[in-house]
Amino acid sequence: MRRFEWMRWMAVAAFAALAACGGEEKPAAPAEGAASPAEPPAGGELNLFAWSEYLPQGVIDEFTAESGIVVNYEQYASNEEMLAKLTSGAVAYDLVQPSEYTVEAMVKEGLLLPLDKTKLLNLKNIGQEYYGRAHDPELTYSVPYMQGTVGIVANTEKIKQPVTSYAEVFQAKHEGRIVVLDDSREVVGWALASLGLDANDVTPENLEKAKPVLAKWLPLVKVYDSDSPKTALLNGDVDLGVVWSGEGAILINEGGGKFSYTLPSDGAHMFIDSLAIPKGAQNLAAAHQFIDYLLRPEVSVKISADFPYTNPNVEARKLLSEAERANAASYPPGSPKLTTFKDLGAAAADVDKLFTDMKAQSGS
Amino acid sequence: MRQGATGFTAAAGTQRAPGRVGTLLLAPLVAWALLFVVAPAAIMLVYSFLERGTLGGVLWERATLENYAGVGNPVYLRIVLRSILYAGITTALCLAAGYPVAYLIGRANLRYRNLLLMAVMIPFWTSFLIRTYAWVTILKSQGFLNSSLLALGLIDQPFEMLYTPGAVIVGLVYTFLPFMILPIFTSVEKLDGALIEAALDLGAGPLRAFSRVIVPLTSPGISAGVLLVFVPALGIYAVNDILGGGRVDMIGNIIENQIKGNARNWPFGAALGTALLFSFAVAYYYVNRRQRVAEGRA
Repeated sequence: MRRFEWMRWMAVAAFAALAACGGEEKPAAPAEGAASPAEPPAGGELNLFAWSEYLPQGVIDEFTAESGIVVNYEQYASNEEMLAKLTSGAVAYDLVQPSEYTVEAMVKEGLLLPLDKTKLLNLKNIGQEYYGRAHDPELTYSVPYMQGTVGIVANTEKIKQPVTSYAEVFQAKHEGRIVVLDDSREVVGWALASLGLDANDVTPENLEKAKPVLAKWLPLVKVYDSDSPKTALLNGDVDLGVVWSGEGAILINEGGGKFSYTLPSDGAHMFIDSLAIPKGAQNLAAAHQFIDYLLRPEVSVKISADFPYTNPNVEARKLLSEAERANAASYPPGSPKLTTFKDLGAAAADVDKLFTDMKAQSGS
Repeated sequence: MRQGATGFTAAAGTQRAPGRVGTLLLAPLVAWALLFVVAPAAIMLVYSFLERGTLGGVLWERATLENYAGVGNPVYLRIVLRSILYAGITTALCLAAGYPVAYLIGRANLRYRNLLLMAVMIPFWTSFLIRTYAWVTILKSQGFLNSSLLALGLIDQPFEMLYTPGAVIVGLVYTFLPFMILPIFTSVEKLDGALIEAALDLGAGPLRAFSRVIVPLTSPGISAGVLLVFVPALGIYAVNDILGGGRVDMIGNIIENQIKGNARNWPFGAALGTALLFSFAVAYYYVNRRQRVAEGRA
């Protein structure tokens, strides 16, 4: 009997491991059969590693039809997940899609290759305001793909007064009616902004100051969801949210006019997700060709149609419909106060611990 | 351990050692276990003593116990305890709901037995995530359950069900119930009806026959079911995110966040994982020991 004990043990452990993996659907690698029956004329394969729900399959298929390059599209749900898989070296990715603070960290660690701009003829379509940013001022390593903000969505049928700041979101009367991103960096950043502090100024003193703010805010939250915060709002389970602008734009489009999107007056987070070629990429030609293809106005506008973030491609913006351009979540009016994130290094763990701690205390 | 008291343990105790062919047949399983269970666990153990790399990953410079000090931090300890509580409640409810079902299927007419068994397993044909999202549709404030209750006039305003601890428990019990039913069914199926008749003939009431004969004889199934439910229920985090609204973290959420979230703190995640594995080991040890004691007494 003893003899088989260890095997039962392993069966149990393996089972636990399998169950733990169940939380994530692995995107299936595109079948080889999807390629054109003849040998691809040029380019071979492109290993693309990009955000989930951010790149329409139709756009990829048209690229393959046109170039003969087979795109292996693998998806991730956070910058950190991308970094983890990229640095493991298991797959040689040709193209990744990091956010600005991750571009900064990757450049610092020498994980990105400089782009060959002679191959990016459509780079001229990117707006001037995307140059001179701290993470990559000359766009040496990265090409902006989409820009977004994090703002306040309100169901105006339920919330009658305008909600324009974090403090106005997190009021006692909104208890149990709020969805926020399940993201420590975001939520702690909002607390810092509401105190008039810089969201990037993460010092132990500032985190200490943020603590009572979070202690007040978090018990009011009904749902934490980074993947699809619009669901709880559409279902009517909550009336207020602090969510990605792309989600806000979809809510404006699909909510029958009842949802509003406002950037918090205390300062909102703005992110720029870029395309970049990681060190170790095998097919540089295909990676450049794909970036240049996505920079074509007529292609870029298709991405905007499915994922209505702010398009950094000024030529593509001209092709947008009137309604798309008027969407306050995609193209916020006025000149709001926007902050991009900087890489926090080791302090990221402190931010996460604070959020976990405050969340645990707020829960029952 | 007392052996040979019953035919059961005697048979188990005198099991023959596998021959050469048997060993050969076992080789793929052993290789699989080494590659996918022992090796990852060993990597996790090593990582748990290292320091955090800036982009995730680990630094190999020096070993540290810091990560385990973090595990002992009240913030995380409370989350571990809560996860154990949720897993415990889930296991108890699965046992209470699953045992009668397993017993009925196991004692059912052979013609219906496979059909009933199939009914238990049909949910596995659909993705676990889709089944969990289906519960969102049922439980949301304008969902199936609330509108039914409203239509029946049982409530006059929507009842808050989604994004509560209760919804998490419902989701967990739903997910893991088949893992309780199947092993108990296997035990019940092997149950010798003559023994129950004998107990009743010899003056035991139905309750006594159940507690002194049926339960001990099906205890291998019960302990297997308890382990199969408790262990994964402790680590799972998707149900908590989808049905609980992520309001309270489970230990699985915390570990995920160390690797895939903002924290980028793999060694700490590894330390939490190692601690979890250790508690699985302890749970297994106790369940197993109780089972052996029970078998010895039977």
